[in-house]
Amino acid sequence: MSGIGTGYDLSTSTFSPDGRVFQTDYAQKAVDNSGTVVGIVCNDGVVLGVEKPIVSKMLVEGSNRRAYAVDRHAGVAVAGVAADGRQIVNRAVQEAVSYKNLYGDAIPGRVLADRLASYVHLFSLYWYSRPYGTASLLAVYDDDGPQLYLIEPSGAGHRFFGTAVGKGRQAAKTEIERLKLHEISCEQGINEVAKILHSVHDEEKPFEMELAWICEASGREFKRVPAELAAAAERQAKAALADSDMED
Amino acid sequence: MLPVPTSHSPALGPGCAGPSLAYASASTRSDIAPPSAQQPCCGSEPFMVDPSAAAGLGLRRHTDTPYVTGTSVLGITYKDGVMLAADTLGSYGSTKRYKSFERLAKVNDATVLGAGGELSDFQYIQTLLDELATEDYCADDGMQLTPREVYAYLSRVLYNRRNKFDPLWNSLVVGGLEGGVPFLGTVGMIGVHYTDKHIATGFGQMLARPLFRERHRPDMSEEEATELLHDALRVCYYRDKQTTNKFQIAKVTAEGVSVSEAFALETQWGYQAFVNPAANALGTW
Amino acid sequence: MAYQMATPAHSAHGAPRAHPSWSPYDNNGGTCVAVAGQDYCVVAASTRMSTGFSILKRDSSLFLQLSDQLVIVTAGFQADSRTLHKTLQTRYVQYQFAHRRPMSVGAMAQLLGNTLYYKRFFPYYTFNLCAGLDAEGKGAVYTYDAVGSHERVGFSCQGSGKDLIQPVLDNQLKAASPLVLPPEEWMTSLPLAEAVDLVKDAFVSAGERDIYTGDAVEILIITKEGTRKEVIPLKKD
Repeated sequence: MSGIGTGYDLSTSTFSPDGRVFQTDYAQKAVDNSGTVVGIVCNDGVVLGVEKPIVSKMLVEGSNRRAYAVDRHAGVAVAGVAADGRQIVNRAVQEAVSYKNLYGDAIPGRVLADRLASYVHLFSLYWYSRPYGTASLLAVYDDDGPQLYLIEPSGAGHRFFGTAVGKGRQAAKTEIERLKLHEISCEQGINEVAKILHSVHDEEKPFEMELAWICEASGREFKRVPAELAAAAERQAKAALADSDMED
Repeated sequence: MLPVPTSHSPALGPGCAGPSLAYASASTRSDIAPPSAQQPCCGSEPFMVDPSAAAGLGLRRHTDTPYVTGTSVLGITYKDGVMLAADTLGSYGSTKRYKSFERLAKVNDATVLGAGGELSDFQYIQTLLDELATEDYCADDGMQLTPREVYAYLSRVLYNRRNKFDPLWNSLVVGGLEGGVPFLGTVGMIGVHYTDKHIATGFGQMLARPLFRERHRPDMSEEEATELLHDALRVCYYRDKQTTNKFQIAKVTAEGVSVSEAFALETQWGYQAFVNPAANALGTW
Repeated sequence: MAYQMATPAHSAHGAPRAHPSWSPYDNNGGTCVAVAGQDYCVVAASTRMSTGFSILKRDSSLFLQLSDQLVIVTAGFQADSRTLHKTLQTRYVQYQFAHRRPMSVGAMAQLLGNTLYYKRFFPYYTFNLCAGLDAEGKGAVYTYDAVGSHERVGFSCQGSGKDLIQPVLDNQLKAASPLVLPPEEWMTSLPLAEAVDLVKDAFVSAGERDIYTGDAVEILIITKEGTRKEVIPLKKD
């Protein structure tokens, strides 16, 4: 970051001479340091997976949720600053309710992604606000089928077949690219996501995995993956990891 | 881009759709004398002051009269839970305007709602409850509104709207199962609410409730309960001209909520006086 | 009452109404009685809830029991009554947080008066009694009108059966007129058991003639030991 100390990083309302907004770059850094969040679109739905570092042995299991339903047909997993993530989730809920109020139908994925991106973008426009240090993976199942979107702190929004953010994103993305996404179902998808999260994880520290999906098996509703399935996926991921370690 | 406030906005109070309601509407009528504090035009007698008159505003008229209405809703508790029954007619005055309007609606896995009165208001109430249900879904903590909570919520919504002199013109019946115990309650358009083992709104209060008082037991089997409702509905069909022979029955049991397909009841019109109305008037020619 | 509860057939301006109209009020009936004794208070209320000529419910309680020494009982419009009870229940709890002691009957009596008067220009259509034991352990009864004016009395009756019961109470409890000077003791010296019997008789008689009083009467007997409740069935016709 060549801009540090040059005065171009103090506000989102100032560009650096080479065309960057440093505050949004820093916000992106907050995301990059976070636990890995993975999303893949399978042939029958979307799977989201979150790697949650366990910050204390005294932490109650299941605390600090990172994947939230925002309507029956849509959910968000957030990486980065958790508190900022709550704001984005709340906004997504409001947008979904307001769309339903106005048009009497569930909000389409691209509209929700667009509105969330615009909302996040607002915070990089004024000197008095700081951008959200959060990237959101948005999983939707609407009339156009299952979709996955990524909304970055800058306000950029993209649609993906599969992507990852956070610490292990590079390795995770490489792994995702190896998958034949249109050939696997979400039941297989959760195993793949679990494997990826375990393989990119720095082994020293304990972590909890949060899996959520929206697919036929969940009744096309965004739900946490049932505990038995999630546990099975985790066992299978650990076994696969142990196998590959043996080969090494 | 900015979201419309949710319909049950805490700032505006439940049942208030948005800030626009705070202003006088364009449908202000000029053909009647302006209200005074002593002669409110809300239909009530001089005891109270019409707030719109007191505020020096023009007269607001929202639902001053219902347009498309549904008639009675019946409800009984029985051994396994509760059953609600209603016909599917939406009347426009004396016109049968909508013949397949479903007046029984699932609220969540343990609650059903039946409505008579203004059907647009009922649909609005459904959106309120849908929002609350979605809120519960998103919270994802396994909690949902209990039937008693839905009933308490609706009683406050309807009472608050009557306080605004802008009532939701409905008689509602809430049925459900709460910890294995049947719940049955009703809320009227001005906020009067009560629970009982059997309930009927509108004409049903006169036609169906006497049958319930005679034959209802809380430990009735599903067959007995269904038969009692069928008999009550049949009486309503015979004697209430706003009832059609197309009914639905909703059921809440431990298995969850189900709303039946519409069905018709067997009726008997072959009485002598029907076949030959002139039998007792021979005439002179 | 000068104004009618039922849907008026004519608008306030005299033109005939061709469509349904509504009134923000209803009278759901019910009668309540309270008698203050030297060391007790008897409070009773019928349990029928009606509208027009219909009975809505036969076991509806008119009481707001705030503690075992303090009770409010309300007849009139049920929706207003429930709203009033909710408000008062909340205020009662808040008072205890703020003052670390239970509310006295006198304090609740004043609060109820203020709460009713707050809605002076869109009143709660409710007729209340506030009853309990005062600081000296004597029975206390406060009687109200719909907009909050109130008075402490030795006994009172409110609601649909008041025209039938109040004169009987006046006669049987032999209260000295408040107009007699110097003021005389106005609280009855009747023993508790006899007061309870009088109240029962009063309700049985009112139930005979008043269609809004019937089904059952709940009687709360408040003494320094606490509150005891009796339920006496009445005619269901």
